[in-house]
Amino acid sequence: MDDQGCPRCKTTKYRNPSLKLMVNVCGHTLCENCVEMLFVRGSGNCVQCDTPLRKSNFRVQLFEDPSVDKEVEIRKKVLKIYNKREFDFPSLREYNDYLEQVEDIVYNMTNNVDVENTKLRMDQYQRENRDLIQKNKATLTREQEELEELLLLEKQGNEQRRLEVLQEEQRQLQARRKNKQALLDELEKSQVPATILLAQHKARAAELEVEIEHQKQSVKPATLFSSGIQRQTVSLLPPPKIEEVLYKYKALHIETYGPLVPELEQLGRIGYVFIFFTYSITIKTLTQQYSMLGLRECHYLSPEGGAVKTF
Amino acid sequence: MKLNIEGLLVYFPYDYIYPEQYSYMLELKRTLDAKGHGVLEMPSGTGKTISLLSLIVAYQSAFPLEVTKLIYCSRTVPEIEKVVEELRKLMEYYAKETGERNNFLALALSSRKNLCIHPEVSALRFGKEVDGKCHSLTASYIRSQRHTDPNLPLCSFYEEFDAVGRQVPLPAGIYNLDDLKDFGKRKGWCPYYLARYSILHANIVVYSYHYLLDPKIADLVSKELAKNSVVVFDEAHNIDNVCIDSMSVNITRRTLDRCQNNVDTLQNTIHNIKESDAAKLKEEYRRLVEGLKEANVARETDVYLANPVLPDEILREAVPGSIRTAEHFVGFLKRFLEYLKSRLRVQHVVQESAPQFLKDIFEKVCIDRKPLRFCAERLQSLLRTLEIADIADFSAVTLISNFATLVSTYSQGFTIIIEPFEDRTPTIANPVLHFSCMDPSIAIKPVFQRFQSVVITSGTLSPLDIYPRILDFRPVTMASFTMTLARTCLCPLIVGRGNDQVTLSSKFETREDIAVIRNYGNLLLEMSAIVPDGIVAFFTSYIYMENIVASWYEQGILENIQRNKLIFIETPDAAETSMALEKYQQACENGRGAILLSVARGKVSEGIDFVHHFGRAVIMFGVPYVYTQSRILKARLEYLRDQFQIRENDFLTFDAMRHAAQCVGRALRGKTDYGLMVFADKRYARADKRGKLPRWIQEHISDGSLNLTIDETVQLSKHFLRQMAQPFRQEDQLGLSLLTLEQLESEEMLKKITQIAHQT
Repeated sequence: MDDQGCPRCKTTKYRNPSLKLMVNVCGHTLCENCVEMLFVRGSGNCVQCDTPLRKSNFRVQLFEDPSVDKEVEIRKKVLKIYNKREFDFPSLREYNDYLEQVEDIVYNMTNNVDVENTKLRMDQYQRENRDLIQKNKATLTREQEELEELLLLEKQGNEQRRLEVLQEEQRQLQARRKNKQALLDELEKSQVPATILLAQHKARAAELEVEIEHQKQSVKPATLFSSGIQRQTVSLLPPPKIEEVLYKYKALHIETYGPLVPELEQLGRIGYVFIFFTYSITIKTLTQQYSMLGLRECHYLSPEGGAVKTF
Repeated sequence: MKLNIEGLLVYFPYDYIYPEQYSYMLELKRTLDAKGHGVLEMPSGTGKTISLLSLIVAYQSAFPLEVTKLIYCSRTVPEIEKVVEELRKLMEYYAKETGERNNFLALALSSRKNLCIHPEVSALRFGKEVDGKCHSLTASYIRSQRHTDPNLPLCSFYEEFDAVGRQVPLPAGIYNLDDLKDFGKRKGWCPYYLARYSILHANIVVYSYHYLLDPKIADLVSKELAKNSVVVFDEAHNIDNVCIDSMSVNITRRTLDRCQNNVDTLQNTIHNIKESDAAKLKEEYRRLVEGLKEANVARETDVYLANPVLPDEILREAVPGSIRTAEHFVGFLKRFLEYLKSRLRVQHVVQESAPQFLKDIFEKVCIDRKPLRFCAERLQSLLRTLEIADIADFSAVTLISNFATLVSTYSQGFTIIIEPFEDRTPTIANPVLHFSCMDPSIAIKPVFQRFQSVVITSGTLSPLDIYPRILDFRPVTMASFTMTLARTCLCPLIVGRGNDQVTLSSKFETREDIAVIRNYGNLLLEMSAIVPDGIVAFFTSYIYMENIVASWYEQGILENIQRNKLIFIETPDAAETSMALEKYQQACENGRGAILLSVARGKVSEGIDFVHHFGRAVIMFGVPYVYTQSRILKARLEYLRDQFQIRENDFLTFDAMRHAAQCVGRALRGKTDYGLMVFADKRYARADKRGKLPRWIQEHISDGSLNLTIDETVQLSKHFLRQMAQPFRQEDQLGLSLLTLEQLESEEMLKKITQIAHQT
């Protein structure tokens, strides 16, 4: 940084640490004094490239490479117009193509390639998409929203922690004060000798300290892992060893307390099976069939719920 | 001997076994049976490695379909070699007992630096250079260029391996790094690629943690390893730090400068290619429009290990349009880089969360979250397309792009801290952006999800329940084993006072206290007079050690100590330290022995063993708390409190005690060994500190050894050392802490063994 200097008056940062370098739209530097001198009338030409410049457009140079300053300036301008979001495009591919196009424009403008045409293109784009640009101006991109959210969370977390510490200190202070007051009161009123009271007080104070220490240890558990996954329970103990009996299959045995269930091959003969032969038949046709069969009342399993209906 | 572990036939290559080894195998078997994860603590020097290996190998041969592979992760190359040697012993025993060679393939894998046999490349000194050079010889596009231009340099070993090596699998056997190199030289194949290829069908793989935990390396090496593997992390007491380091990114001004160069190179290369070979870029563009479908299919069919740097949702979508073409992407990188530069120009410390960072970056340079998320993947694709040979040069820009992906993917678990200067030198501007991971579970999650059993084991894992909490997993077994001893060969003593009743402590208020320093000096002096051979003393930090040693010098204590023993000092410099270590060992071998002054968390405390006479006493000066003022640590503590309900103090004590236990455990590396363990700080006597030491140390701390003065310590030590100096034969151990097969199978011993494992 030390070897940077004004190209006109040849002052460097090394010789004058308070030197302030300025950049204008063309990306060439001048020191503050030279700017004051050359642009007294508010406008003039660049010493190096003869571009007409305004004094009000001079900015303090942020970066070592003035071309980066220039590029950032241009980029900000371009992004103001090209502010479409990812959801404005039907696919990611098109969005990426769009991003590349934007990048191209910035590249052209910075490196003075085909500036006229690029400007025309920008103007045309601006005219075509005026509504969308206006609309998107107000909204942040999704990523920025996420960032904002994270920052907010961080801030809240810090604030909360600070408050907790503060509260904790207050509580401890109060407890100690109370303890002291209690001793004074007892010394005033009680008949017991002072040495015993003092000993009692000492024991109590020690107890209090232990308790406070204990409370300090039980810090509130955080609820999120660094990966952002919710943490359920936090065990400070080592996780228990898992000693499970392996699952073993046992044949199912159902106690019905009713008449014995008929065997499968008997079902057809008794006349149970015909209800199940197809589920695709609608209820209407089923009832027709039942009436044809001479059944007035019937139990059947409804195909969708499995509940027993009667009609 | 042949053991029967709950119906599993285990070959154990020794004639005798420790009861805790048997118990350890029982627990391990239960873990494998349940196909779950386990946390097992067993003292160092009781044969953890061989118990692990023999049980898992037996399990593999008994149920070849249930467990196909053992992935054994260790920390350093010497440790890896040690594991392979144990394995070799086991396999020889198998061959002897069964009479036939079984077709086990086991191999160690390490970096190119340790495996390369190319004469020029292997001569390079640094790992990164070797990687870069190797890449410039073997990258696929370099090799395809060679078709047109045969003059380009090539690596004959790789070519040979590529031509024939893949068809013929590596013959069964045990290969350590040297074996692989020998094999490679004999065949003319590249041992590194051979090893990397062979781990896919090997039965046992031994390598470093990073191959599984570091997402960049894991993606290259380990992503195709089978699901039904057993993963073992040995010496895993530091695993959370490894996880965190592998996900954290530090960006300095220099990184950014190098990154700037990278981006410029990229831009130029793109410019050139556009003129010469535009079709290539078009082809890449077409692929990106289609999306990263291939990777997605692979992940869905569960072929690959998940990569935390490459989140799932990326794979489902196509690369966003704004970074689809190469120029636009380079422009994007430029903007991102300039933004980071401007952030590094701060005057005061900034700490912010990932959402804050994202919001700011959108406002400043109009970068959305989505392209950031794709950054790492997009850069890889570009580098592949541009066919840049030396990937090592692009480490800076890769780092930045990884950072971009991570910061936009994880909204929690990371924090960004920008420090304009180091705390120690506030006048020198040296801005650093720490993007530090606070949640070790992010890096290790794919491992727990993918592999059926993950076993975390070490000599010091106490308290056991903290590891499942910070790594966010549910173990089926958690057990801590103690050492059964025929004689109490360790003697932990807690020294709380000097002879003048001054409290000994390394706490901040008394750091500079001359009385404390003098008493520490007296302690070391007295011990140096009575302990034979080597003493290792650990301090809490380098600065603390320097201060104390300087002060001892002024007080004449050092001179007095030197009448008894030679003194060696560990320094941050690796070469100097290894020199000091070598001389220390030499001094222990002859004469009156030596004292090694070193630092907890240093190189000595982590990896060097002081067996037998190399370490008869360890003195721990102070409690090795981590530097608590660091902002990264503070952020992590806060996160632990909010997310895992672990209080700051609990974690700091836990961390300090695991390092203290590591240091102290250096001296005791087996049952015939013996060592004094002196904890020189009053605070060790407190229940919360003492309770966090491993069980096998804790159970030897009696009420009589708390808060001693230096005199009392010397008395107790003298007594202990005299006892230990008595001859100790194997027969004394037999039946108590060392068992033959018959003794093992007796009823009462089996009952005893079941009690060794302390389920927590």
